[in-house]
Amino acid sequence: MEKRRKSKGDNLVLRYLVLGSWALFCLVPILWFLSIGFRPRTEIITPEPIYWPTFSLDAWRLLLADWPIFDYLRNSVVAVTGSVVIDLILGIPAAYSLTRYEYRGRDDIGFYILSTRMMAPAIVAIPIFFLFRNMGLLDSVWALMLIYAAVNLSIVVWIIRSYMLDIPKELEDAARTDGAGDLRILWEIIIPACLPGIITASVIAAIFAINEFLFTLLIASTKSAYTMSVALANFTGGSDGVIYNAIALVSFLAFLPILVLIVLIQKHLSRGLTMGAVKG
Amino acid sequence: MAVLDQTGGVARAAPDRARPREKALRRRSSALRRAFPYLLVAPAVIYLLGITLYPGAYAIYQSFYLVRFTEWIPVGFDNYVELWSDSEFWQALLNTLIIGGIALALECVIAMALAFFAYRDALIRVWRIVFLMPMLFMPSAVAFVWKLAFNDGRVISDLLRKIGLIDGNLDFLGNVWLARSTLIVADLWQWTPFLFIIFVAALQSQDQEVEEAARLDGASWPAIFWNVSLPMIRPVIAVAVVLRGIDITTMFTNVFILTKGTPGGTTETISYFIYRQGFQTFNFGYASAAAVVMLVVTILAAQLVVKRAFRSGKA
Repeated sequence: MEKRRKSKGDNLVLRYLVLGSWALFCLVPILWFLSIGFRPRTEIITPEPIYWPTFSLDAWRLLLADWPIFDYLRNSVVAVTGSVVIDLILGIPAAYSLTRYEYRGRDDIGFYILSTRMMAPAIVAIPIFFLFRNMGLLDSVWALMLIYAAVNLSIVVWIIRSYMLDIPKELEDAARTDGAGDLRILWEIIIPACLPGIITASVIAAIFAINEFLFTLLIASTKSAYTMSVALANFTGGSDGVIYNAIALVSFLAFLPILVLIVLIQKHLSRGLTMGAVKG
Repeated sequence: MAVLDQTGGVARAAPDRARPREKALRRRSSALRRAFPYLLVAPAVIYLLGITLYPGAYAIYQSFYLVRFTEWIPVGFDNYVELWSDSEFWQALLNTLIIGGIALALECVIAMALAFFAYRDALIRVWRIVFLMPMLFMPSAVAFVWKLAFNDGRVISDLLRKIGLIDGNLDFLGNVWLARSTLIVADLWQWTPFLFIIFVAALQSQDQEVEEAARLDGASWPAIFWNVSLPMIRPVIAVAVVLRGIDITTMFTNVFILTKGTPGGTTETISYFIYRQGFQTFNFGYASAAAVVMLVVTILAAQLVVKRAFRSGKA
């Protein structure tokens, strides 16, 4: 590739000044928070902030001894994985229906699915709370699984739909003349062909599910359903206030797998975030 | 409802004894074929109705009651009348618009400026992953980062004092605009990358030749960006801003952890208002009335804004 020649109005100093300062603004709080995870509690909330703390593994000890961190982790993993599986089982056929068939009401159904993404959690929080209470599902990982799946279903359908639209119709027609039925075509041709879309949708749904806060706050009340996201808000030591070093540590434990997932789907990220509206 | 009618069609197409079996079979399979796309999409739609239609109806129903533990007392439109004259409700609505509006505007401008500088840069892969990082933290964790920096750890005050802007400590929870700006900074830090990633992708995937032609004509990059590139990616900008706008108006986690609405309810968003009415004062009927108002606004916004943004975004 030929290198772009420098042209008018291309001020490299200004460019790197702007980009560099934003990079610092992104990274400094993260590094500082990481340092919180490795300092003793006595050096966190002080009259004067301490910028060069002593190294300490207090938070690790605290997490492993006082907090059921593995329960939180298990709840997050079970609820998130389960919700993504539900989303794929419901979402792939729906996306296929919305892309590959012409029928009355199709666009309205598609828009209805999209519009559920606009629903603020707070609007439905109270009815959902009563619903799960009546079903005896309060403080249960299964309730979290169901609600995460519902929250992300619209995203999953629309992302996968966008990738299915890219599959050439001829691929399908060839299989159909060979006598393959609709479901076999979906399973053997469409799903493999839009696998990047399915993976992107799964990763984005998983991240949103890991982060979910309001519903989890209402549904979970003990360690049998607390996820990492909501457990953080309860890391308080009574009179000692918020236990920041434990919070910092847990947030980095959750950050690392998400970073790996995002790097894996980096090329598809913008398309996933816009539910397929941007093909970047 | 069309879904149910159409699947019902399968049962109606029972084989007719008077006709040859093959014909009946073919007829049944054609009915099945017509119903098939509906059958594929039905499970997802029914599932989503469960989380939208049912709760929506429930909220409307509950909004006409005064709920005291297990006792439901019908009160007609009282909850709505009370809401109309409740200054806390209007305050929450206004706060949501002020905090969300300022944060959204800043995020757009910053993300666009960063995208402008970054999308032709050789290090774009590095910028993208670095700028993305705040978005990958759990929102509850991000709220604690800023709670510690602004309030509990007094780090921001200390830094401002070190560069000589203030003496003493700023009480970020005691002042309306300081408290609001903590929410804005926390949102900005975490979510500007959302817009940045999308803008950069759109700028990179547009037709490079148009920019190149403008450049050969002697136009400067800022002029090209403003007059050529931006108009080309306008549909994408619309989609991204609409999605971010939706999320920002539902802001809850940061309020819950950072400010709890203080001082004097000036940082309480509408989501936090509903939560507080429902789950702290257990005034479920009243909270439902507020939720119904928010639901109506959401439906209107979805019809007017979202439909348009997504239709043009697919072009």
